[in-house]
Amino acid sequence: MAAVVEVEDLHKSYGQVERLHGISFQVQAGEILGFLGVNGAGKTTTIEILEGYRPRDGGRVSVLGIDPARANRQWRNRIGLVLQECELDPIYTVRETVSMFARYFEDPTDVQATIDSVGLNEKSDERIGRLSGGQKRRLDVALGLVGDPEVLFLDEPTTGLDPVARRDMWSMIEGLRSAGKTIFLTTHYMDEAEHLADRIIILRAGVIAAQGTPEELAASLGYHTEITFEPSVGFDLERLRTVLGAAVTLEASVVRFKTNRVQDDMAVLLEWAQGERVVLDKLQAIRPSLDDVFVQVAGAATAEEGAQP
Amino acid sequence: MNDVALAATQTRYALRGYSRDRNALVFTAIFPLILLLLFNSIFKSNTQFDGRNVPSGAYYTASIISYVITLVSFGSLLSRITTARERGLLKRFRGTPMPSWIYLVSEIGRTVVVVYATVALLVVVGAIFYHVHVSADLLIGLVIYVALGVSCFCSMALALAGVCKTADSASAIGPLAATILSFLSGVFIPAFLLPTWILDIGRVFPLEHAARGLQSAFLLKGSTGLNGVDVGVLVAWTAFGLLVASRNFKWEKSGAGTT
Repeated sequence: MAAVVEVEDLHKSYGQVERLHGISFQVQAGEILGFLGVNGAGKTTTIEILEGYRPRDGGRVSVLGIDPARANRQWRNRIGLVLQECELDPIYTVRETVSMFARYFEDPTDVQATIDSVGLNEKSDERIGRLSGGQKRRLDVALGLVGDPEVLFLDEPTTGLDPVARRDMWSMIEGLRSAGKTIFLTTHYMDEAEHLADRIIILRAGVIAAQGTPEELAASLGYHTEITFEPSVGFDLERLRTVLGAAVTLEASVVRFKTNRVQDDMAVLLEWAQGERVVLDKLQAIRPSLDDVFVQVAGAATAEEGAQP
Repeated sequence: MNDVALAATQTRYALRGYSRDRNALVFTAIFPLILLLLFNSIFKSNTQFDGRNVPSGAYYTASIISYVITLVSFGSLLSRITTARERGLLKRFRGTPMPSWIYLVSEIGRTVVVVYATVALLVVVGAIFYHVHVSADLLIGLVIYVALGVSCFCSMALALAGVCKTADSASAIGPLAATILSFLSGVFIPAFLLPTWILDIGRVFPLEHAARGLQSAFLLKGSTGLNGVDVGVLVAWTAFGLLVASRNFKWEKSGAGTT
């Protein structure tokens, strides 16, 4: 497998503010890479540098063997874009728009087949102004695909869609995977990345905070299982802290602490409860979902930097 | 598909959009016709041009044509380009292999077709109802002045598109400039009635020269109305507009993509 996208030590600043602090990663051919981060993490900056829209300040970038900063027509023929914000002219029909875009490319796919592939066959002759939000988004994807690109950049394809339209979009993107497309997908939904991506990169404040397959991420970051219970009677919180050697908190009559030695700590806890005659009501050991992992890893950016517009 | 053919197809596509856009149709074709009708109903008798008596009908036909050129080439084009930019369409086009100039050429091509069609309509109405005498001289002067005027105001639109931050402000500037300049340039009110200082201001801007050139073509018998000053000023403004546009034109809306 060859790397379709190669990024090494990528830097980008806006004025005095450094947005990307030297990130490095690769996307292999046929792979779907989920690029995750909260708003302001640097996702769009990164994707726009890869798409050839934005110059970089430092580092090496190559997409299909070409530096996007020197994007030429031939290279544009080989990449497909689905931008975050693009409101197409509502006066044209779906088919007119897709056929017009097909003309921009050297070797486009069949227009009707492209429309069918994003599930808009019944809307082919509908004006864009009459499409729902989800249908418009799928048309955007059709425009990204009609040039038959080797790599597709999908910038937050499901932001703002309702849950049903989101599921539709997911199954469409899964269809692209089976067609063997290389896809660079940005999103701020962990479940989306988990569902679609072969590999996930979590970006936080311009640095890569974590990366790996969804399984690897869960394994490497999901160690903080949380144990909670509601004690039946009052007890000495300090003593429990000492027994467990953990930062136990008591809030609204719920006791909670985090551990990565669930079995050992549970045994200690049960022994303590026995001795103190405390009944552990609603005792639970909760393993964090990938969503929680994301909030843990990426969420800190929001607190540190503030969300960007 | 080569680039010239692609530009032609893109222009046809833009014109198909125009034919479906009822607002554009009313604004660029019906509205000037109503103005022509109104002015000619209000000012029925003769007026003066270059010290001689001329029929107001022919005078206002020439004037409204110059107004249409400004309204469509400057106002509509500026509004369309800035709206497309705000919607992210310009950026989207730039991400395709299509050279960006093809999009601009198609928008200008659409403008040229719409202006000439409206002008033809106004000339026909003028010939039938308003004492416009259609001669070879008139047609030569007309075609050339319309071409110069469209080039000039399209280049002004491209220049202003780089300056205007939002489509809202751009859409207001077009009709505002067209209307104010029309009063300063002897378009709505004949030049001989205007105070000198008003005309002096008007003469700085291109509309006065497009209007006076067209009025000469319509009103001076046996003349195309072509003269060095009016042609020269229009060409100079065109060049200036293109220069500003080439330095300032923006394909993405301001403030986009800072994250």
